[in-house]
Amino acid sequence: MKKNRLGEFQELVLMTVIILQDEAYGNEILRNLEERLQERLSMGAIQAALKRMEEKGFLTSVWGEASQKRGGKRKRIYQATPEAMNALQEMKDIRSDLWQAMVLLNPNIG
Amino acid sequence: MPHQDQGQYPPSWAVRLLRFILKHEFSEEVEGDMEERFVDNLADFSYGKARWLYIRDVVGMLRPVLLKRLFSQNKTNYGMWKNNIKVAWRQMRKHRVFTTIKLGGFSVGIAACLLIALYAQHQLTYDQHYADQDRIFRLVNQWSENGETGYWANVHGPLKEVLEDNIPDMESVARVVLWPWGDGGENQIRRVEEDFNHYEEGFFYADPELLEVLEVPLLSGSVSTALRSPNTMVISRSKADQYFPNEDPIGKQMRLNDNPETTYTIDGVMEDFPDNSHLQGDFILTLAERKWGPGTTGWCCTNYHMYVKLRPLADKRIVEQATGAMRNSLIIDKLRNAGQSGLEEMQQYQSYYLQPVANIYKDLEEVGDGLPHGSLELTRLFIVIAIIIVVLACVNFIQLSTASSLQRAREVGLRKVVGSSNTGLMMQFLTEACLLSIGATTTGLVLTLLALPFFNDLTQLTLVLPWATWWFLPTMGLGAIAIGLLAGIYPAYHLTRYRPVDVLKSRSSGRTEATAMRNGLVVFQFAATVVLIISAIVVHRQFEFFMNVSLGYDKEQVINIVGLETMDKSRRLSFKEELLKLSAVRDASFSNFLPVEDAAVQNRSFWVTSRRQIDNGVEAAHWTVDEDYIKTMGMKMVSGREFDKGMDNGDAIIINQRMADVLRLDEPIGTQLTDMFDEKSRVIGVVQDFNFESLEWEVRPLVMVFGPTAATLSVKLATEDVSASIAMISAVWDQFNGRQSLRMHFMDQRFAAMYDSISRMRTVLMIFAFLSVLIACLGLFALSVFMIEQRAKEMSVRKVLGAGVVKIFALLTFDFVKLVFIAIVIALPAAQLVMEELLHDFAYRIDLDWLIFFIGGLIAVLIAFVTISVESLKAATANPIQRLRSE
Repeated sequence: MKKNRLGEFQELVLMTVIILQDEAYGNEILRNLEERLQERLSMGAIQAALKRMEEKGFLTSVWGEASQKRGGKRKRIYQATPEAMNALQEMKDIRSDLWQAMVLLNPNIG
Repeated sequence: MPHQDQGQYPPSWAVRLLRFILKHEFSEEVEGDMEERFVDNLADFSYGKARWLYIRDVVGMLRPVLLKRLFSQNKTNYGMWKNNIKVAWRQMRKHRVFTTIKLGGFSVGIAACLLIALYAQHQLTYDQHYADQDRIFRLVNQWSENGETGYWANVHGPLKEVLEDNIPDMESVARVVLWPWGDGGENQIRRVEEDFNHYEEGFFYADPELLEVLEVPLLSGSVSTALRSPNTMVISRSKADQYFPNEDPIGKQMRLNDNPETTYTIDGVMEDFPDNSHLQGDFILTLAERKWGPGTTGWCCTNYHMYVKLRPLADKRIVEQATGAMRNSLIIDKLRNAGQSGLEEMQQYQSYYLQPVANIYKDLEEVGDGLPHGSLELTRLFIVIAIIIVVLACVNFIQLSTASSLQRAREVGLRKVVGSSNTGLMMQFLTEACLLSIGATTTGLVLTLLALPFFNDLTQLTLVLPWATWWFLPTMGLGAIAIGLLAGIYPAYHLTRYRPVDVLKSRSSGRTEATAMRNGLVVFQFAATVVLIISAIVVHRQFEFFMNVSLGYDKEQVINIVGLETMDKSRRLSFKEELLKLSAVRDASFSNFLPVEDAAVQNRSFWVTSRRQIDNGVEAAHWTVDEDYIKTMGMKMVSGREFDKGMDNGDAIIINQRMADVLRLDEPIGTQLTDMFDEKSRVIGVVQDFNFESLEWEVRPLVMVFGPTAATLSVKLATEDVSASIAMISAVWDQFNGRQSLRMHFMDQRFAAMYDSISRMRTVLMIFAFLSVLIACLGLFALSVFMIEQRAKEMSVRKVLGAGVVKIFALLTFDFVKLVFIAIVIALPAAQLVMEELLHDFAYRIDLDWLIFFIGGLIAVLIAFVTISVESLKAATANPIQRLRSE
């Protein structure tokens, strides 16, 4: 939980990347997330999150294949690094700690 | 692909925009994603909506991580910058003449801009130094009639008390007397215990409240006690240092003009008034408990200016209305009792206006107050000229850069062939422009430093460059770069558009659009220049006209000896007798009233006695003169006689023709007049009209009354040997008044001083006309180099086929002279408009005859011709083989 922390949106994108595995490229991530969140997102938001996380070392990427649908341009496939997995785990632990604390105060929430 | 088959694409400009803003390394991936998304959207939405969503996503890309960084893209690539700078430096050295011309024109522009910015800044800081800035006002009269509004500052003395008692929103009210009345203005002064008199200016009267209202900082003494007792005064720090070095001046006494009744006790020392205060002076005399003159007049006369400090949160407009209402209820009867007429009109049209203190110097309302003001005309003129000069300088830079670009066309072509990008080339040229502009700014600063003393002389200010402030140098630096970019962008663009094939095959690429622009610039430059030349000529002629116009009196070889207050009357008379015995002196006359601006002023209203109740009074200048005045000043009597020492006493008057006209007197001699104090007088003579005020105005009515002596003695010399005459006069003076140095003015110099502002305007116009001629010539020179270079081959062919030097010379020059003629055609009506505007306020003015315009145009044509001839002659006499061989 030092300087390289995940933003809330970044966390969602990161988990989507992990789920999508070999299909984790820009448009696919966007489509997937939109479906889950039931709202329209902008391509810029997704791309900015991806690039930020790559800068921080949570993601790596390699060129994928091109397709005609993409006007002959190659995809960039993203993959989470072990640091990303640690960060996600950390976030999850903090959340569950907080939930427990909340439930203790008010059992109805649980 | 379905979408492509159906011809369905995202908007192409949006795609280009996306590519433009994205970091290069992201563009393939992100563009691909965007395109895929577009196709997905097509499945769900209409074509139009899908396109719209694409655009929205492009806008959504505006995030720092994704965007190209401007400039810092090549953070590590400073070798490129180094190379750019090196190339720029080499270019400048190679084309020394062009570089010098560019640099020179630019520095002049920058220097002019700086000087004028300093001037404007100084004008703007006037009277901005008060803590209660927005509560300090000057109470002035406002007269609104038929939609026209005028203001004047003089108000009645007793008004102060009425305001204090009835307008609670006024925290304090202070009167001042700023004109030479009583001991106001200039005096002979000494410490009581000393003997020798010193001449000092800057005396004025004020109520003690002035110190509080205008927040005058006292170094010693206290605001609550200073000026409260009769015959006290506050002096400035510099005068305290002068008269009381290493002493405390408080409680010390000083005597004015050797008169025991005007002995003042100092009870305060103030900081000198700052340069940018409208109020100036070194000696504040109190108005408290005075027995005569200033401070004692009633509702008869308006002799005071009045400052007011309002209470915090008071509404200026409500106070103004309350003051007006109070005038109608409380004051009007007092005015009637004082014998004032026109009270109905006064109630109808006249009201009070609170003028913010910061406006007094700037004179936004044009209040008549007889104080020096920032000359709005001069300021406007400066600003307009500054803009013209800067624009001319920029135009020149563009002109010269595009002209010299021809010589660089090959360089550009080669750079392009070996793979230089347009952006890279632009950067190269912009770097050059910026370097040049930084150089020009530096020389511009040096020029400014050199020119400041002259400029200060011209504007009578003490301006300095604010080196020490934190913002000055950074602003200069940024300004230099900004100007460089601005001026460099067109030439850079122009140069990078050369097609390498054309230039390398040395095919000329002169496009008509660019030619039209260049010609337009030359026309503009010369039009501006012609207007300036004509303005300079007109203002010069107007000034000369003022200096030489027949005034109705003779100002030459008249000396005004001043400072005779310290001699008693009989002594003054015998001094005059002694002077008249000198061979150098032809006539001599006592009077404080002189037909120049800084002499005494007094006005009274007059009626023909028999029509006192019927007519409105005629306001006339009221001069006291002795029996030799008319003779000494070289004035002419139209009818009647001059004063006679033996026959006349107080009731004899001489009037001028204008006065007789206004009073509608057919037989003026013997007419009885009555003035506002009900003093009766009898006209004994009519003097021919003479201009006793500025020639900007018509001659006003004038009344002269007889008075045997005064503090000023005017002497008409009999010889042209002025210095010998002065030596003789000085010797006589020392016999009569050894305790004071002889002080005098030359009347022709005082007369010239009245036209200082127009004389300064003349100087400004001449300097700037010269500068603009210089700059325009540089521009034209550059253009001629450019055009002749382009047509060199044509001329060579013509020459080979038998055209003579003259023919070719004429051919080349004609094009330019044509441009200059167009400029003149545009400039003449513009100049006429500007000059009519300038002159129409003057009562005595020159006519704008065609000769002035002809001369202005001729100068422009001649200068242009000479400039062009340099290159044209070179081209016409060149050996044709030089040019033709290169094919």
